[in-house]
Amino acid sequence: MPPETITIGKSEARKDGWTKASGQALYVGDIPIKHVCIGAVLRSPHHHARILAIDPSPAQMIPGVVAVITAKDIPGEKIHGPLVQDQPVLAMDIVRHMGEPIALVVTEDKTAAEKALAAIQVEYEPLPAVFDAEKALQPGAPQVHPGGNLLCEYDVSDGDLQEGFSQAEVILEETFQVPRISPAYLEAESSLAYFDEDGTLTVVVSSQKPFDDRHHIAMTCGLQDEQVRVKSAVVGGAFGGKEDSELHILAGLAAWITKRPVRFLNNRWESFLAHPKRHPATLHYKLGAKADGTLIALEALVHMDTGAYASYGPAVGGLLTEMVQGAYHIPNLRVLTRVVYTNSPYSGAMRGFGSPQAHFATESMLDILASRLAMDPLELRRKNILQPEDHFFTRVQVGDTARSLPLILAHADQARQRLRQLPAAPGKQSGVGFALSLQSMGLGHRVPDDSTNRLEWSPEGRLIVYLGSPELGQGMQTAVEQIAAETLGIPYQIVDTIDVDSRISPNGGVTCASRMTYLLGNSVILAAHKLTEETLNYAARTLNLPRAKLEYRLGQVILPDGRQMPVSEFCGRAAEDGIVLGASATFSFPYPAERTPEHLPIGMPHMMHAFGANVVRVEVDPELGTVEVKDMVAIHDVGRVINRAGVEGQVEGGAVMAMGYALYEDVCLKENQRWVDSFTEYLIPTARDIPENIEVILLELPELSGPFGVKGIAEMGLVPVAPAIANAVFEAVGVRARELPITPEKIALSLVEG
Amino acid sequence: MLTIEITVNGTYQQIQTAPNRSLLDLLRDDLGLTGVKDACGQEGECGACTVLLDGKLVNSCLVLAAQADGREVTTIEGLQQLERLHPIQQAFVEAGAVQCGYCTPGAILSAYDLLMHTPHPSDEQIREALSGNLCRCTGYTKMVAAVHHAEKELSHAS
Repeated sequence: MPPETITIGKSEARKDGWTKASGQALYVGDIPIKHVCIGAVLRSPHHHARILAIDPSPAQMIPGVVAVITAKDIPGEKIHGPLVQDQPVLAMDIVRHMGEPIALVVTEDKTAAEKALAAIQVEYEPLPAVFDAEKALQPGAPQVHPGGNLLCEYDVSDGDLQEGFSQAEVILEETFQVPRISPAYLEAESSLAYFDEDGTLTVVVSSQKPFDDRHHIAMTCGLQDEQVRVKSAVVGGAFGGKEDSELHILAGLAAWITKRPVRFLNNRWESFLAHPKRHPATLHYKLGAKADGTLIALEALVHMDTGAYASYGPAVGGLLTEMVQGAYHIPNLRVLTRVVYTNSPYSGAMRGFGSPQAHFATESMLDILASRLAMDPLELRRKNILQPEDHFFTRVQVGDTARSLPLILAHADQARQRLRQLPAAPGKQSGVGFALSLQSMGLGHRVPDDSTNRLEWSPEGRLIVYLGSPELGQGMQTAVEQIAAETLGIPYQIVDTIDVDSRISPNGGVTCASRMTYLLGNSVILAAHKLTEETLNYAARTLNLPRAKLEYRLGQVILPDGRQMPVSEFCGRAAEDGIVLGASATFSFPYPAERTPEHLPIGMPHMMHAFGANVVRVEVDPELGTVEVKDMVAIHDVGRVINRAGVEGQVEGGAVMAMGYALYEDVCLKENQRWVDSFTEYLIPTARDIPENIEVILLELPELSGPFGVKGIAEMGLVPVAPAIANAVFEAVGVRARELPITPEKIALSLVEG
Repeated sequence: MLTIEITVNGTYQQIQTAPNRSLLDLLRDDLGLTGVKDACGQEGECGACTVLLDGKLVNSCLVLAAQADGREVTTIEGLQQLERLHPIQQAFVEAGAVQCGYCTPGAILSAYDLLMHTPHPSDEQIREALSGNLCRCTGYTKMVAAVHHAEKELSHAS
C-alpha cells in the first residue's frame, strides 16, 4: 500500500470543469473583443502549381475589406518551420499542397471576407504532383523541394543481420500500410491578435507551445521576441496537432500590418488540409526466428509520407525507427526509415509520434509468426520480452521499467481468458486479440528538455502556480496542482493556476511527448522546496527568531515552543510589506551517463520508457465484414497515479482514438482528386462505437526520477490498440489485416477470396 | 433583414437578422452565448452546437435563425440556476467526463434531454443519446458514468 496522501492518487475534480461545463470557458473564438476583424485565408486549390501572378486589387475594392496581404507584404522572415525552415508563411512562387495559404484577407464582417477571398485573382500553372512516398523517390518523380524529395533517412543497426538470418529457422516477410489520420480535436486551430493596453502586439493562441509561437510571430513581423506577447486561451484539444505555429503567425502578421484586432478561426476543412496529421507509412518487415519462437533478426524498411512540408517529420521518423523494436529483445536488428516529401497535406506531431505506426507492424508481425509456428501469441511474447539489463538497439539501457512486462503479460493473459468465455451475438464471430506497447517520454538524448515554473503565496495564503506550458484539456494542470499541494502539505482546493501569458509566465516548454507531469511535477517540487525556505526566512525575520529554530509543516510555520502559525499570516504581512513570497525552479530532463553509451547510432534516442498492453474482444459479421469492439482491457504501467480519473481518462480516450485509427479513419485522396476533408466522410468514433466494457488496469512501478514515481501516460493508451484489434479480427475470421483502416470492404473481400 | 421574436434561456427578445443566418450564428455572434460551439463547420456532424428548441434537441447550425421565430431556445448557459451547476453539469465535472471541454456543453444538453424523457436509462440508451456529440478526448466512458451519476442525483431530488 502506498503511504497515506493528502491528494496524490485521488480523483480530484479539475478546476476548469465548472467553466467548461457551464459554457463559460473562453476558447479563442469566444473571447469578446470590440471591433475585431475577421481574418481569412486564401488557400491553394491545386496540389502542386507555379504561381504566375497574384492580383489582390479586385478584393481591395470590396466594402468592408481592411487589407489583403500577400507574401510581399511580410516585413520579416518569409519562411518558417519548427525543425526545418522550409514552409512559406504565404506562398510565393509555388504551392506544394492543396490548402496551402497564399493570401490573407482582413475584413469587417464575414460576408466581406467571403467576397474578398473569391475576388483575389491568382494565375496558376499546374504541375505534376506525387502523393506516395516510395513513388516520390523514383527517378523522374515530381520534385516537391529543390533539394529532392528525401527529407531525411535513419539507418540504425545492432548485431549482425546476415548472421542473424543465417541462424533463423523461420523467415517471414510482410508489408504493412497505415493511413494518414487527423488529430480531429473538436476545436479547430484558432488565433486572435490585437494590441494590448500598452500597444504590444498580443496573440492569444490555442497552442501547445506559446513561447515558440511568439518567436515565429516575431520573426515574421521583423520584431524581437520581447516585442510580442502571447497568451494561452482555453485549448479545445491538441494531440500534437497544435505544435505548428502556422495560424498564429498569420494572425500576428495580419494584426501587425493592419494595426487592427484580427481573429482567425480555421474551418474544419482547413484543419484537415492545412494542419499536421499522423504520418501515413509503408513498413516492410523481414523477421527471422528460431523454431521455438526466439526472435533472432528483424530488418525493417519504412517509408513515411511527410507531405509538402517537414513540420516534425524528422523527429517522428526518429521515434518511429526506435519503436520498431517494441517490447522485445531482438539481437540482430536494422531499421531503415525514409521520411519523404510529397504533395500531400503535411504530417507532423500526433499522439504517439511514430509509435502507433511501428507497433501496428511489429505487433501484427508477432502474431503472424505465432500463427506460423502454431504457438500461443502470448507465449511467443513472453519468450522475447526485454529484461532490465538489456539495451535497446539504440544502445540505451532498458532499465527497471522492464520489470512491468511480466506483470503486464499476466494481466493480459487473465483478460484474454476471461474475454474468450464471452459468447458472440447470433450471426457474429468473436475473436480476442492483444498487443504489447512501448512508449517513450521526453524529447530525446541531448535535446534541451527543460521546464521552468513558479510558485507564489497569494496575500490570503492560497498557492498560485505560474505554469509555463499550456493545459490542452488532458488534465496536466490538475496533476501539477496535486503535486504542488502534496509537496507543501496543503489542500488541493487552495491551489490556483495562472494560464500562460508570456509577460508573467516562465517558459515551461512545449506541452508534448508524455513528459509534462514528469517535468512540470519535478520543477514544481523544486520550486516548493525553495518556497518553503523563503517562507521560513521571512518568518524568521518577522518574528525576530533564528531561521534554524523554525520548521515548516503542512502549511504551518512551527515555532520553537511548538506553537503553529499558518503560512497565510505571513503571506498577508509580506504583502503589506510589498514582498512577494515566491520561487521559480527549472527541472531538466536527466540523461544519466551510466545508461547512455558513447556510441549512439541514432543521434538523440529516448531515454525513458513505459510498457503496456491492450486486450480486445471483437465481433465480426462475416457477411458484412463489419467489426465491433465489444470488450477492452487496457493495462499500463504509469509509475504512480496522481489523479486516477485523469489517468483513466487519458487511457480510455487514447484507446478510443486508436479505434478510429484501426477501423475508420483515412485522410485519403478521393477519385475526384480532392482530399477527405470533413466529418461527413471522415468518421471518428462516436459514443455508439465504443466497447460495452472498457477496463483500465494501472500498474504503479515507480520511475525513481519522477515526481512521486510518475511515468508519462498521455500517448501510451493509444499505441497497442490497432494491432490488438487486427489480431482479434484474425482470431475471429482468419483474415489478416495488413492495412489500416480495417474497413468492412477489406474483410468481406478477403473472406470472399478465401 | 427580418425581425424575429425569440425566448432564449427564459428571456424574450426581438432581434433583427439576415434571413440566411443560422441559429448558431445568432446565438454566438448576436447574443454572445459562446457556450454553443461549432466544430464541424456548420455541417451538422459534431453536435457541439446542440441546443433545445421548444424542448427538442437540435443542431443549431442546421436551423435558420428565422425558423426559431416565436419559439423558445435553451442553451448550456440556461441550464444552471444562478451560481449552481445543474446536477448533470456537476456530474460531468465530478466523473472526469470533461477534458478539453469543447464538446461538453452539447453533450450535457443531450444528456439532459435523455434524462428528461428517460429518467433511468441503460448504458446503451446513454451511448445512443450521446452518439451525435463527437468527443476526441474522453473515449466517452466517463460521460456514460456521469449520466448515471446525474440520474441518481436527479431521482433523489425529485
